[in-house]
Amino acid sequence: MTKYIIRRFIGLFPTILVIITISFFIIRAAPGGPFDSEKTLPKQIQENIEKKYHLDEPVIKQYARYMLSIIRGDLGPSYRYKDQDVNYYIAKSIPNSLFLGAISMIIAVVFGITAGMISALRQNTWIDYLSMSVAVIGITIPLFVTGPVLVYFFAMKLNWFPTSGWITGRYGWTTLVLPVITLSFNNFAYIARLTRASILEIMRSDFIRTARAKGLKTSVILFRHVLKGAMLPVVSYLGPAFSAVLTGSVVVETIFRVPGMGKFFIQSALNRDYTLILGTVIVYSVILVIMNFIVDIVYAYLDPRISYK
Amino acid sequence: MKKICLFILIISVLFSAFFVSCKKEAEEKGGGGELVVWNQAEPQSLDWHLIEGVPEHRIYYSLGEGLVSSDPETAEPVPGVAESWEIDPTGTKITFKLRKTTWSDGVPITAQTFVDSWLRILDPKTAAPYAWFPGDLIKGAGDFMEGTAGPESVGIRAVDDYTFEVTLVGAMPAAVSAMSHYAFAIVPLHKIKENPDSWTMPENYVGNGPFVLDEWKPQEILSVKKNDKYWDKKNVKLDRVVYIPTDDDNVGFNMYLNGEVDWAPEVPLEQLDAVKLRDDYVVAPYLGVYYYIFQVEKPPVNDVRVRKALSMALDRKTLVEKVTAAGETAGYSMVPPMAGYDPTPGIGEDLAKAKQLLAEAGYPDGKGFPKLEILYNTSDRHLKIAEFIQEQWEKNLGIKCELVNQEWKTYLDTRKQGEFMVARAGWIADYPDPSTFLDMFGSGKAMNGGKYSNKEFDELIGKASTMKPGPERFAALRKAEDIFITQDQGVMPIYHYVSQSMIDTTKWGGWYPNAMDWHPTKTIYKK
Amino acid sequence: MIKEKSAVLPVNEFNQPDKGVSLTLDAWRRLKKNHMAMAGLVLVIFFILISVLAPVLPIYSYTEQVIDHQYLPPSLTKNAGQLYYERTLGQMNALAEKEKRDLNQEELAALEQIKYRIANETAVINGKEVKVHERRYLFGTDYLGRDMLARVIYGGQISIAIGFVGTITSVLIGIVLGAIAGYLGGKVDYIIMRIVDVIYGLPYMMLVIIFMAIFGRNIINLFVALAVVSWLTVARVVRGQIMSLKNSEFVEAARSSGASTTRIIFRHLLPNTLGVIIVFSTLRIPTFIMLEAFLSFLGLGISAPLASWGSLVGHAVDGMNLYPWRLFFPAAAMTLFLFGMNFLGDGLRDAFDPQGKNKF
Repeated sequence: MTKYIIRRFIGLFPTILVIITISFFIIRAAPGGPFDSEKTLPKQIQENIEKKYHLDEPVIKQYARYMLSIIRGDLGPSYRYKDQDVNYYIAKSIPNSLFLGAISMIIAVVFGITAGMISALRQNTWIDYLSMSVAVIGITIPLFVTGPVLVYFFAMKLNWFPTSGWITGRYGWTTLVLPVITLSFNNFAYIARLTRASILEIMRSDFIRTARAKGLKTSVILFRHVLKGAMLPVVSYLGPAFSAVLTGSVVVETIFRVPGMGKFFIQSALNRDYTLILGTVIVYSVILVIMNFIVDIVYAYLDPRISYK
Repeated sequence: MKKICLFILIISVLFSAFFVSCKKEAEEKGGGGELVVWNQAEPQSLDWHLIEGVPEHRIYYSLGEGLVSSDPETAEPVPGVAESWEIDPTGTKITFKLRKTTWSDGVPITAQTFVDSWLRILDPKTAAPYAWFPGDLIKGAGDFMEGTAGPESVGIRAVDDYTFEVTLVGAMPAAVSAMSHYAFAIVPLHKIKENPDSWTMPENYVGNGPFVLDEWKPQEILSVKKNDKYWDKKNVKLDRVVYIPTDDDNVGFNMYLNGEVDWAPEVPLEQLDAVKLRDDYVVAPYLGVYYYIFQVEKPPVNDVRVRKALSMALDRKTLVEKVTAAGETAGYSMVPPMAGYDPTPGIGEDLAKAKQLLAEAGYPDGKGFPKLEILYNTSDRHLKIAEFIQEQWEKNLGIKCELVNQEWKTYLDTRKQGEFMVARAGWIADYPDPSTFLDMFGSGKAMNGGKYSNKEFDELIGKASTMKPGPERFAALRKAEDIFITQDQGVMPIYHYVSQSMIDTTKWGGWYPNAMDWHPTKTIYKK
Repeated sequence: MIKEKSAVLPVNEFNQPDKGVSLTLDAWRRLKKNHMAMAGLVLVIFFILISVLAPVLPIYSYTEQVIDHQYLPPSLTKNAGQLYYERTLGQMNALAEKEKRDLNQEELAALEQIKYRIANETAVINGKEVKVHERRYLFGTDYLGRDMLARVIYGGQISIAIGFVGTITSVLIGIVLGAIAGYLGGKVDYIIMRIVDVIYGLPYMMLVIIFMAIFGRNIINLFVALAVVSWLTVARVVRGQIMSLKNSEFVEAARSSGASTTRIIFRHLLPNTLGVIIVFSTLRIPTFIMLEAFLSFLGLGISAPLASWGSLVGHAVDGMNLYPWRLFFPAAAMTLFLFGMNFLGDGLRDAFDPQGKNKF
C-alpha cells in the first residue's frame, strides 16, 4: 500500500508536466493572438509588443523560457492585465474560489449523501420520489438559469440579499448565500442520485446479505458496511467535481461577481492571454491530480476488497 | 433511522434559520459624495500608456488629466493642465500654457513632464497599443514610434517650464480635442523609476486627476478618493468614485435596478421594453456605425451589383425599431451625421431595384446564388441582427444565407484574413471627425479585411489628411464617402449608434449625454 | 465438462447457465409494475415521437419571422392579432402614463391602423397566402416573432439527439477503458488513469476552439468534440466499481474455471456495475445538452436560426422578468424529458436487478 502511494505520488509530476506542455502548444495554435483587437495595431507596434513579450521567438524557445521561469515559481506577466503578473492574480483569486467551493461542496456532500441514503432505504415511497425529483431538477436546470432565477426572486423581488458581490465588499456575508446555493444545488443532485444508486447496488451483494443473515442490526449494517462501500462511485465523482468547484465555477463567479479564478479560466482563454491561461491550468491541474490521488487512496480505505499490488 | 431523520431535521432548521437571518442590510452608502459606477470590465492597466478600452477610459477621467479635459456636455476640449492654448496661423503648431500644478505627491508638473511622457508612449520599448494616435498626429512621432528616428525628431518641445509646444503633421482640426484622450496622458515618471513594476498599486499610486487611487481588488472593486493636490479641487464635489467591473450585462443592470450602483453605462437588449418607460433611461446619439463588411474579392459579393442589391433589400427601419429598438437611426452612410459634415445619402432601399440588380448580376430571383455566409461574433445583439437580415434576404431576394458564429478572437482573425463573404462590424469614433470612419478602408490598410481598394478614394483620403479644417476638407471626405458607399458599396451601413445609460439625473448633476459618451467624473455631484 | 459449458453459454453471476430471453421478459414484467418508470418511458417515447414527427406535425416553421408578433405571450384563446394589439396598446398606455397624458392623436391613429392591418393583412407563408394575424402561438413568440412551440420542438430534436449520441459514445468509451484499467490494474491502469488526468487538466475550451479551426464546423465534429472530453468521469466511476468487485467470489470462480479476461470483464463484472452505469448515463444527458449550449456560444454548436433547448434557454435568461414564457417552455420541456429519462433509468436498473427486493 505504502509503495503504491509513493509510486502514485511520484507519478503526479509527469502528469502535470504533460498537461502544461500540451496546453502550452495548443493555446498557441488557436486562431487569434493576445494583442488582436478591433482596432488593428500598426505593424510596428504589433512587432514591438511581440518583442516585449518574446512572442517573436521560435515557439520552442518560448517553451524553454516558460518552463525555466515556472521552475523559479514565476508564472510570467499577464498579457492582458499589464500591471501585475500572473502570480499576483492567481494569489488574489484562488482563496476566494477555494472558500466558496469548499463551503458549497461540503453542503452538497452532506445533503446529497443524506438524501441519497433516505431515498435508497425508502425506495419507491413518496420521500424517495420527492428527493429524486428535487435531484433531477438540480441536474436538469443549468447553473446559468438557477443563478439568475435566484437573483430575480431573492435579490430583486424579496430584497433579502444583494444581487452580487463578495464578502469583502459592502454587503458582507450576505453575498455568499445565493452563490453557495447555486453552486451546491447541482452537485447535491449528482451526489444524491449516485448515492442512492450505489446503495441499492451494494445492498444486493453477498456480504450484506451475509451480514443480515447473521442478524446484525440494520443501523450497523448500514453504517459499517453499506455506506462505506456505496461511497465508491460518489468518491470517484468527487475528485474532478471538487477540483472543478474549488477552482471556481465560471458561471457562478460571473453571475455573482465572485472575484475568483474561474473567471480567469474562461476569460483568459477567450482573450488568448497565454500566460494567464497556463497559470490557471497549472493551478487547476495540480489541484485535480492531487484530488484524484486522494480519491485513489480513499478508495483503498473505503473498500477492503481492493488490493494494490 | 430515526436518528438520521432527526439529523436532517436539525440541519434543515439551521439552514432555513440562516436564510431568514440573512436579510439584506439597509442601504448604507458612505455619505452623500459617493458615486458607484458599473464599469463593464476589469481595467487592463492603470498605466495610461498601455490601455485601449472604454472601462479604462472611464477611470482615466478620475485619475488622470492631460493638457485638455473634455466638457461633460459637449465633449469639446476644456482647459486641463494647460490653462490656454494658441494655434498658429498655419494650423500646424499649438502652444500650450501650462498651469502651476503638481502630482498628488507634490512633485510639480512641467512642460518637461509632457515631453517625457509622450516620448514614453511613442517609445517602441513601451509597445503601447495606442501609440499610433500621437504617432499619426505629431510631426516626426511616427518615425520614432517605428524606430526609424530618434526621440529628438518628435515635434514636441518644452519652451520653458510652463510652455509646451506641439508641431503637428499638418493642420489637424481635431488635434486639441484628441489631446483629451489617454494616449496623450502624462505619467509620474519619477514614481515609475522608483517602482517600475508596482507603481500602479494603490500604495504607490501618484496621479494628477481630480481623484487618486484608493483601493484596487482585481475583478472586485476599484475605488478612488478626492485628490487634495488637484488644481481645481474646489469644483470636485464627489468624495469617492467606486468602479465595479463585470462584463455581464444582466449582472450590471440588476445591480443598477437594485440600487447597488448609481450609473449603468449600457442596457441589456432584452430589457428595453421595460427600460424605455423609466425616467432614468438616457439615450443620446453616439458617433458610431454598425455595418456589414463585404469581402470584395470573394464571389458572389465581388460584384458591386450584388452588394447593392443586398443593401437595398434590407428593411433597416424595421430593424432599428423592432430588433435593436433603442432609438438607433437607420444608416445608409458610413459616417454618422456630425456637426458641419453632411454624410452621403447612400443608395437607400428599393426592393424592385434590388431584384433587378441581382438579375443583372446573373441571379434572377436568387437562382443560382451560392450560399451566402454571414460572419458575426458571439453576442445576443449580433445574433438577432444577423437572424433578421438572413430572413430579409431570403424573403426579399430568394438568397439562402448561413450564419457563421465565432468567438471574438477567432472572429477577428477570420475578418483580418479576409476569410469571409459578409461580416458584421462596428466602428466608434476615436475623435469627432469623419476621417476616423473612412481612413481604415484605404488600399492595403491593416484593418481593411474586406480588401476594398479604389485609387480615387485613396487619393481623396490622403488629400484630406493634410488639408486645413473647413468646408473644403469636408467636401473632399464627402466625395471619398460617395465613392466608397454610393458608387462601390464597399460596406453596407446598417444603423448609427445611440449611447444608452441608466442614471437618475434628478439625483445626480453634472452628468450629461453627449455624442462621444464621455463622462468626466470631475463635474458629477449629488443633488 | 463444466468448464466448456460455462465458456459457451451466458451465465449469471452465480455462474449458472442463464436463459437470456426470460431475463429480459422478467425485467420487462418488473418494469411494467414500476409506475414511475412507466411514466418515464411514456414521456421519453412521447418526446422522441414529437421530435421525429416534427416535419409533419401541424406547426409553424421555426424560422418564420413575423416581426410584428415579437414577444407575444402564450395564449390558448387569443390569436396573434389580438395579442399584438394588446401589446401595442399596453406599451402606449404605459408611455402615456409615464408622461402623464392620455393617448395622443398619433398613437390613436397608429392603433386604428394596426386594427385595420390585423383584419386585412395577408402574407405568403410556404407558398400559401394566409391571414397572418390569425396565427396562434400556444407557447408565445420570441424576439423576432417566431413561434416558440416550433422552436421548442425542433430544439428538442437537436438536444435529444446530442444527449443520446453524446452519452452513448462517452459511456461506451468510458466503460471499456474504465473496466480495463480497473480489472487489469498495474501499469495499464496507471497509464489510462494518467491519460484521464491529463485530459481533465487541459483547457477544454482551447481544445474546442482549435478543433473548430482545424476541422471546420459541422455536426459530426461537434459529436467528436463532445465524446473526446466526456468519457473521463465514466471511466473513473467504472474503474472504481470494477476494482471493488474484481476480488469477489464469483469473479474468482469464473477465473478459476478458466474464463478469459475479456469474458470476465464483459460477462461478469460489467453486468454487476450496470446499475451505477445506467444511473450515471441518465445523469450525463443534461450535461451534454448544456455542453452543446456552451459550444454554440463558442461557435462550434449548431448555427442559428437552428435552436436547441440549451440555446433557447440561454437566450431567454436575460429577459426572463419580461418574457418568462421564453425561458419556461424550453426549460420545462427539457426538465420533463430528463425526468422521464431519470425515472426510466432507475426503473431499468431495478428491473435488471435479479435479486429484486432490496428493502430493509
